[in-house]
Amino acid sequence: MPHAIVMPKPGQFTEECTILRWLKKEGDPVAKGDVLFEIETDKANMEVESFFEGTLLKILVPVGGTVPVQATVAFVGQPGEAIPAVVAPPPPPPKPAETPAVSPAAAPAAAAPVPAAVPLLATPIPASVAPSSPTAPAAQKISPRARRLSKESAIDPSGIRGTGPGGRVLEKDVKAHLEQRGYARIRITPAAKELAIAEKIDILAVRGSGEGGRIGVEDIRRAVDEKPKVMSRMRQVIAQRLTQSFTSTPHFFVTVPVDMTDLIALRREMKDRGAPYSVTDFIVQAVVLTLKEFPAFNSGTDGRSVWWRSKVNLGLAVSLENGLVVPVVRDADDLSLAELHDRAAALVGKARDGKLAPDEMSGGTFTISNMGMLDVENFTAIINPGEAGILAVSSTRETPVVRDGRIAIRSVMKITVSADHRVVDGSVAAGFVNAIRAKLEDAALWRRLA
Amino acid sequence: MDSYDVVVIGAGPGGYPAAIRAAQLGAKTAIVEREAWGGTCLNWGCIPTKAMISAADLAAHVRDAAALGVRADNVRIDYAALLAHKQATVSKLAGGILSLLKAYGVTQLRGQASFQTRDRIRVAGADGESTVRASKVIVATGSTSAVPGFLPKAPAVIESRAFLDLAELPARLVVMGGGYIGCELACMAAMLGAKVTIVEMLEDVLMLLDADARREVRRSMEQHLGIRIVTGRGVDSVDAGPAGARVKVGDEWIEADRLLVAVGRRPVTDGLHPERAGLWPDEKGYLRADGRNRTAVPGIYAIGDVNGGPQLAHAATSQGTIAAEDACGHRGKPNEALVPGVIFTMPEVALVGLTEAEAKAKGLAVKVGRFPFTALGRAIAAGQTGGFVKWIADAASGQLLGAAAVGPRATDLISVAAVAIPAELTAHEVGRTIHPHPTFGEAWMEAAHAVSGECGHLPPPRR
Repeated sequence: MPHAIVMPKPGQFTEECTILRWLKKEGDPVAKGDVLFEIETDKANMEVESFFEGTLLKILVPVGGTVPVQATVAFVGQPGEAIPAVVAPPPPPPKPAETPAVSPAAAPAAAAPVPAAVPLLATPIPASVAPSSPTAPAAQKISPRARRLSKESAIDPSGIRGTGPGGRVLEKDVKAHLEQRGYARIRITPAAKELAIAEKIDILAVRGSGEGGRIGVEDIRRAVDEKPKVMSRMRQVIAQRLTQSFTSTPHFFVTVPVDMTDLIALRREMKDRGAPYSVTDFIVQAVVLTLKEFPAFNSGTDGRSVWWRSKVNLGLAVSLENGLVVPVVRDADDLSLAELHDRAAALVGKARDGKLAPDEMSGGTFTISNMGMLDVENFTAIINPGEAGILAVSSTRETPVVRDGRIAIRSVMKITVSADHRVVDGSVAAGFVNAIRAKLEDAALWRRLA
Repeated sequence: MDSYDVVVIGAGPGGYPAAIRAAQLGAKTAIVEREAWGGTCLNWGCIPTKAMISAADLAAHVRDAAALGVRADNVRIDYAALLAHKQATVSKLAGGILSLLKAYGVTQLRGQASFQTRDRIRVAGADGESTVRASKVIVATGSTSAVPGFLPKAPAVIESRAFLDLAELPARLVVMGGGYIGCELACMAAMLGAKVTIVEMLEDVLMLLDADARREVRRSMEQHLGIRIVTGRGVDSVDAGPAGARVKVGDEWIEADRLLVAVGRRPVTDGLHPERAGLWPDEKGYLRADGRNRTAVPGIYAIGDVNGGPQLAHAATSQGTIAAEDACGHRGKPNEALVPGVIFTMPEVALVGLTEAEAKAKGLAVKVGRFPFTALGRAIAAGQTGGFVKWIADAASGQLLGAAAVGPRATDLISVAAVAIPAELTAHEVGRTIHPHPTFGEAWMEAAHAVSGECGHLPPPRR
């Protein structure tokens, strides 16, 4: 009896995954531990290994297919073995287009078995949020002749009102559309038309830059470049979550300058002695300590309930080539500075390599976004859904400041907290950033901690 | 002081069309020339060489004509008469330019032009000096042969201009430089009976061509014309005597009556003093200009060889027209990017657009359709079956991106491609266009079919 290969459940909140790539094809021998295929979840890509030995007999889900976790995607067995009657994988349960990441029902999560796990990326989004596309939607009724004429004319029939039965678009409707839109006046080079047909560009919507408005290859290329394209899953998740947060959370922002001169000197001194700490490690530690003093910033709300978290799970925003991820340092308040350094370094490294497990990106209670290396004066960040704040850390710059009645040049770094005004008031936010500032400016504290 | 809307400096193939275009648009126009109307192209370049190459080519064809049943024994070259034909050609065309300039009301100023300020130009000629005021200036001063400094200054060491005025053809000629000027003159001299050696530092002659075209030309030059081609080595030194020169190439000394230096051209700005107008040449001496030939100084344009673009007469003509239109307030399109090249070797070669090598370097997916003249009725009938034409087309859309022709009438045939490529025609379109039969031009249609492997006059492509 062949073994069924099922879609794994890479994270506790993952409900469906997409097959990116099969590394074996039907008929290939498979050893235990061989990578069979690669999947994409709403958070990450990962490779799936075989638990069985034999031959890959049948692939049920092709590249690009999205199926629920635990669905059978392939069979491994001995050559010639009969494959069980293939049951088509059930479609994923329908989902509302927009589900709040933290639904009211999730509010009592604080009391649930996994209290800290109000998920960062809990909402699976629809497999493809289709952008407005110039190609005809599948729903349009159109006759084969009308479709062919549209294609040969390099135009998009989706906007044409059909006069056939049930609004079906007929060839004469396309002809009328072409006449009404002045198609006969369009001048286009042969190569440009070939390209427009191949790339499904509606030439009625293209402005020609050639002599007398003639459409050339460059014009079509530009239209192809400007055509809406489906974003990567990562970008869709970012878009959905940040839009939700920014439109439903009343943000306000408080900035303070931090004099980093002494801490930078101390860090250099420590580095000479072989200590590994970076300035970021100090900032992370200062934030963790301050969150214990200001529990409102370690809470979450839906506007009706508030839930306090007893532990600090600190998210660190890491920018990647094509987006960003937020690995989470769990139980950061239990860690020493040295442990924080090691955990953060390991997570950021995995994030850069695209190797984070989904559970390493969820459950955050507060987040730090650090643009220190990007040479910025100041910025504000958008709160991750389910959290009450996020700290934006900007670059450290040589700045003239007044100290003891004189102007001195100091290394100054601005930090800005974004706060959810539903649970955090202005005075609390001011106290929070000033408490972080006081810690970072207190060299004696760091001599003790390090 | 006379004032002009447009003053053009230099009456070569860039300058005089610029002046005529400006006059057509109603500008009060003057043109300054210090040497000869028509510039290098008409007097010492394109035109005189073609007069001489036509004669040489005819002689070569007559010698080969026995196979077609035409016997013309004892074909001899009367070099003096050949030079007279060349001179008559030049004179006729120069006269034509003068009468055209006159007909369009362009003032002709003879002498050396030099900027005094941005808008004042002094013209110093044999009849004295004058200064004119110019609202717009188009600099079209061209280029001259570059001669490396290590070569001795001697009568036996000449560049192309002096070569054309030699009263006698040298019996033994060494050509330094295997570019298109060197190869054209080498072929001409060989066809007229000289013993020719080409010395080229690069790995091959005519490196602007694809390897298949180079192979075809080089084979003909070596096997048919008996030219010796030395590549990958330069001229190390030259001993020039009263009667000739000894040319050292590697370990070898080559004896020659003349050494023809054809290693490139350098811009001409001597005496012009552009710096007085605030215009500074770049480190190589070029007056750089933008896509509409505007220099960094408002109102001053630079066109043709002096601006460092492609050093071809037809490119200069196009730029001159565009500059004149811009100077007269007609903002048109920038310079044409597609500049065909023609080389009057034996056989002729021509190209336009992308070469296969360039397409590869750009990472483009292209298909090539090639058709040899050995398979073309007209070529076989004419006894001229060497060479081929080829299209380079975009693999996905079939858009024609480049073309090359080697063989009979290649330099005329290329004009079809020079029209088809900017019109963005596809191989399919050219393939289904009815070409007259039997002509050399049919080769384009066949090659267009060959792009998709569907040329019925070639065996099916090997899979």
